[in-house]
Amino acid sequence: MASEKLNMIEQFKNLDILKVDRRTFLKAVAALGATSFVSLYGNQLTEALAAFQETKVLWLHGAECTGCSESALNGSNPEFADALKELNVSLVYHETLLAQQGIFVDGKLAGTSDLNGEILLEELVKEGGYILVVEGSIGNGPQGSGKINMIGTHTFKSIYEKCAKQASAIIALGTCATYGGITVTNSDVKEYCDFMGVNQTETNKGGMNAVLGINKPVINLPGCPAHPDWFFLTVAAVLLGKIDLANMDGLLDGDGRLKVFYPPNNTLHDNCPRRGFYDRGVLDERFAEGGCLWKVGCKAPYVHSDCALRKWNNGTSLCMQAGGPCIACVEPVFPNGSMPYYVERESAGVLFGVNIGTVAALAIGAAVVAAGVHAVRRVNKEK
Amino acid sequence: MVKVTVDPLTRIEGHLRVSAEVDSNGVITSAQSSGMLFRGFERMLQNKDPRDAALHVARICGVCPISHSMTATNALDDLYQVAESVPQNALAVRNFIQAANIVASHATHIYILFGPDLANPRYRDVLTGSALNLGATGQAVWNELLGRFAPLSYKIDGQPVPVGSGYLNAIPEKKRLQEAIALFGGKMPHQAITVPGGVTCTPDLGDIAKSAAIYLKVMEFVQNYTLGVPLDTWIANTSQAQSPAAAVKFVTDHLAGLINKSSGNDFSRENGWKDVELFAAFGSELVGEKLLGLPASLRLDKLGGYSDAKNMCFLSYGAFYDSTKDGYNPASPTGERFLTSGVVRASNLKFEDLDTAKIMESTQCAFYEDDTPSRHPYDGTTVPVSDVNKINLDAGPTDKYSWLKAPRYDGIAAEVGPLARLIVAQDPLIIGLAQAFAGAGMSPANVYTRMLARMHETAIIAHKIVDYLNDIDPARAFAEPLDMRAAKDNKGMGIWEAPRGALGHWISADSSGKTKNYQAIVPSTWNFSPRDEKGIASPLEQALVGNAISGVDNIGGANYANPVAILHVGRSYDPCIACAVHTIDATGKNAPRDYELF
Repeated sequence: MASEKLNMIEQFKNLDILKVDRRTFLKAVAALGATSFVSLYGNQLTEALAAFQETKVLWLHGAECTGCSESALNGSNPEFADALKELNVSLVYHETLLAQQGIFVDGKLAGTSDLNGEILLEELVKEGGYILVVEGSIGNGPQGSGKINMIGTHTFKSIYEKCAKQASAIIALGTCATYGGITVTNSDVKEYCDFMGVNQTETNKGGMNAVLGINKPVINLPGCPAHPDWFFLTVAAVLLGKIDLANMDGLLDGDGRLKVFYPPNNTLHDNCPRRGFYDRGVLDERFAEGGCLWKVGCKAPYVHSDCALRKWNNGTSLCMQAGGPCIACVEPVFPNGSMPYYVERESAGVLFGVNIGTVAALAIGAAVVAAGVHAVRRVNKEK
Repeated sequence: MVKVTVDPLTRIEGHLRVSAEVDSNGVITSAQSSGMLFRGFERMLQNKDPRDAALHVARICGVCPISHSMTATNALDDLYQVAESVPQNALAVRNFIQAANIVASHATHIYILFGPDLANPRYRDVLTGSALNLGATGQAVWNELLGRFAPLSYKIDGQPVPVGSGYLNAIPEKKRLQEAIALFGGKMPHQAITVPGGVTCTPDLGDIAKSAAIYLKVMEFVQNYTLGVPLDTWIANTSQAQSPAAAVKFVTDHLAGLINKSSGNDFSRENGWKDVELFAAFGSELVGEKLLGLPASLRLDKLGGYSDAKNMCFLSYGAFYDSTKDGYNPASPTGERFLTSGVVRASNLKFEDLDTAKIMESTQCAFYEDDTPSRHPYDGTTVPVSDVNKINLDAGPTDKYSWLKAPRYDGIAAEVGPLARLIVAQDPLIIGLAQAFAGAGMSPANVYTRMLARMHETAIIAHKIVDYLNDIDPARAFAEPLDMRAAKDNKGMGIWEAPRGALGHWISADSSGKTKNYQAIVPSTWNFSPRDEKGIASPLEQALVGNAISGVDNIGGANYANPVAILHVGRSYDPCIACAVHTIDATGKNAPRDYELF
């Protein structure tokens, strides 16, 4: 058994994880276990990177909750500080971790970049050539002013503009930074705030980059929060040249996400630990019953992410495993397309803006035929 | 008069601006704090399924998401009238994930957010400079501070400084605690399990055993780095001490013992000086210099105090249910929760029962159109300013200058957080310290007591957490079914404690059972609000007045370019500004969504 696993490792060691097809990827993960798979590549990357020069990462916080930073600190293989060290990444700016802060004396910047973060940021932008990580959405309101979010006498919109123009690539981390996420929940202040993602909104391509006329390579890593592996493996792949920033067409899906983490042809439902209950028609109608969560609102059949394989917090668990229905937090339509969170999809009438009658019949039909469950009962009734 | 502004105040959650007027002696005479991001969270919940609130509001804050979901869930338990029948198992799971989140959040604050300020070059100058001439002792203390608390990518005089041992080693422990939460909650941040009526998870004995193993691992770190006394011994002699005086004596005797064996200036962890001991002895002039006879200290007890006690109180809503039985009272009566609710006025340090009817919010100095006098959160009515030019960074203390509203308790400002919680809970050690400072003519609340309370509370909760694991019985139910109709035309109040202090959510539902109004008052709104309509300043604004801008009594002269007083005082409250700025109420413009709740 052990030698079989070793052979597997030999076989998969040389895979380019970002270019393998889904099937091979799944086989590799299944053979090695998600955690060792990640760490295996971590080691491979480390060796390859030994001769690499330092890469600067400049991390900005817009309209955010710091959950994606918290999540990055939860990185396990590699751990946060190890990842920075082993990838030779210098985290040059990060508001939550920074030694510095903005200091003004009578309105003028004071001191040096040792203590003054505003001076540090000016120096970094002047040098350029960093990977820009954006956490949180970018506020355009009210009335295009960007004043909904001010940092150190500037609008965050203008800080983003300044930093993006000098970046070599941009990683939009988390659903707020990618598509607006929780900050664009429908409300009557939505238009006033006018939050948007880096390169996209919940419905349109373009995002803040279109407003500002910025044209840079952008990788979207949505999730509420984003998984630490998604982030560190992406940074590693960029540094290794596994991702060609000039041509990412084959790597990204239509929403700018890396296909390897957000597989377009599979859904989260396929690998759900409670999938067996669905197939047997054990559909819970109350919480804490241990069965399939479809009827209490689970959106996993419509969600493209590898959460169920990768799991969260060092492979500990994931929402459905703990009885929480998936709320589709990696999808561009989150959260407007997935609220109400606890209502069975077809009874909500609209699914991600698409008529349930067609989508549910397509997506669920096959499984339901096999399982003989009543999930589509209402769909049929509506027809 | 010089105006010193810190913006952004980093190493906090969110975006905070603090500006201070400083006189020619380098002493702060007036201060303003401004939250500079608005997201409109409560407005998002209107006309939605009330149950969505618990997962949605977790996204207010990624550092303390559990507290927000818990508070929302309490409000929903109340709204759906199931609070009295929430199963004991659910209460125990909720307690456990909350306790683990508070410990992780406090550790993050102590080591990653606040700690790096102890490695500020100001202390190199004070401890090793000529002004005090402390010789080898000063150098040894500075070496410890720098070696333990230097943050990532740190430089002094342009020279890179290696990352501190405490800083570096705290990150994996915080991560480990998140794993323990994920065993029950599915993932962290933003767990998936808190629902009205209980929790969605059904942990088995394996999950419980795994979390116990994680707990023991974290405790190894605590004993190696943080606290030089076994946890049981610490708790028995501090929070379970016979009297406040006995608790203080236990700590000062312990520190005196360490000093006695450190004549060679060995302040290393190996010599017993764990991080709590180092901070407790060298952080305070009263404790370190006057009581223990140390040659110098950081004098953090002279920063962040209140000079106008009549306009200040300490407030706690109470946290941690009695998880030995089913059900709880959402009004959190005195004594029901492990850390009780209550109010203590700074003027007399006397305990009062909490009365939530005395909570009002003012928008006078906030970027909202509505200038009417203060309102109770059930009746909040405010709209963000329509004129963009009113969002003005140079606005003075009587103008609009923040996105935070100004909550007040019985017309005065309230500090919330670990210090307030332990004063309200009458913890012997914290009360003993408060009395000692008051007796010395100093403010009982200051940067030193605020940080020490956070460390002490970490120990208290880490000690208690085992009980919550024991209260989980996998054979029994974890959730009580809801009658969705119970929400019709009803209201719900959720009051709870986040790591940073009192957190309250108020929800009301319409005749169709959907959310009509949702209001949240969060800890950082209490601590960092702007002035109210009577001109009463917030805790942070009050706490900066009278401070030496460079700390340590401005020894060696004031340096406006390194305003350590603002950095320490601001961060001592553990600001969470994304939490604090969210408030906007109903105008009813959203069309209800097309679905049936029941």
